[in-house]
Amino acid sequence: MPDLMNHVEFRTALENAIKGKSANKAPFSIAWASGKLNRAHLGKWAENHYHYVGPFADYLAYIYARMPERYTEAKDFLLANMYEEEIGGDRHTDLLIRFAEACGTTRARVIDPDNMTATTRGLQSWCYAVAMREDPIVAVAGLVVGLESQVPSIYRKQTPTLREKYKFTDEEVEFFDLHIVSDEIHGERGYQIVLEHANTVELQQRCLKICEIGAQMRLLYTTALYWDYVAKDIPISEIENVEPRVQQGERQLLQA
Amino acid sequence: MSSPGFSRANASCCRPDQVPKVTLHRDGQAYEGEVAENTNLVVKAGIRQFPFPHLRYGCGMGKCGKCACHVLKGAEQLPEPGWKEKKRLGSGLDEGYRLICQLWINHDIELEQGEIPGEPLTPAIA
Repeated sequence: MPDLMNHVEFRTALENAIKGKSANKAPFSIAWASGKLNRAHLGKWAENHYHYVGPFADYLAYIYARMPERYTEAKDFLLANMYEEEIGGDRHTDLLIRFAEACGTTRARVIDPDNMTATTRGLQSWCYAVAMREDPIVAVAGLVVGLESQVPSIYRKQTPTLREKYKFTDEEVEFFDLHIVSDEIHGERGYQIVLEHANTVELQQRCLKICEIGAQMRLLYTTALYWDYVAKDIPISEIENVEPRVQQGERQLLQA
Repeated sequence: MSSPGFSRANASCCRPDQVPKVTLHRDGQAYEGEVAENTNLVVKAGIRQFPFPHLRYGCGMGKCGKCACHVLKGAEQLPEPGWKEKKRLGSGLDEGYRLICQLWINHDIELEQGEIPGEPLTPAIA
């Protein structure tokens, strides 16, 4: 049985659990960052991404309802996160739809659940399942630390490319800019809550496991986007020239 | 073209080899703290570190204007305002206001936070 970790050790362990399966390593992400995608590919991404992040406030609401009343700060964080997703400024999904429209697709296509892949549906379902069934601290670890906290590093890499290589305007890519600020706050606050309340060996180990699974789910989703929409246009060998270890990493994922 | 979020001011000024020092004036009080380079003060406040709880902020996306501050010192080291600041602050930019959520700090800076500017201070720039 592992020992109970202090906050520094536990934080490092959480970061390592996520790092190994970062979605930055997916071929879709590499193709995006290297400017190889076209607007139609990015439109497909938006049509799928909507169904993953669109219900984020719903996921958090399930966690909020089950979070013990005595964890006031954690509950307040969840409530603030929900508020910011939906009504703190522009609704985040509206900004995603703005980007989608700039890619050539439509609001109707984006919100239509028939336009997501089975893998996206799987990621969305996993998020709901975690929110509804896991211990609420473990759920925060999975959804906020494991998934949401990854967003700033992903978008930091992808957003300059959207302007410089894909020639989107600032307004068209606002969705990505805002997440660099808000998700940094949300991710870090998620860490703080998990570090404070995962105070048994068992809880810490469950948090680590769900972070690993969450990062793996996101990598799976992003990888599927490549195979479903991009592979026919850009062979994996071309992606491998940018990032030689993609194929090996993917094989490991598919075998996992 | 770069966004305000990615336009990092270059070298820290005034105190080489030291991390940026931030002074925030609000409600007649002055609050001082040091932050790491490339720090967004709204992010810091959001995670409950200095300048929390003194810095007022809201949406974090350059829209509500709650984080707007008058830059007393260090303005020349900041990147040019992005489209969100131009749209939200209008002529307030000429008066020395900036949206703190849109800035990554790399140098010493002194800020004053008063009332939330109107929306916008002048007609929005197209």
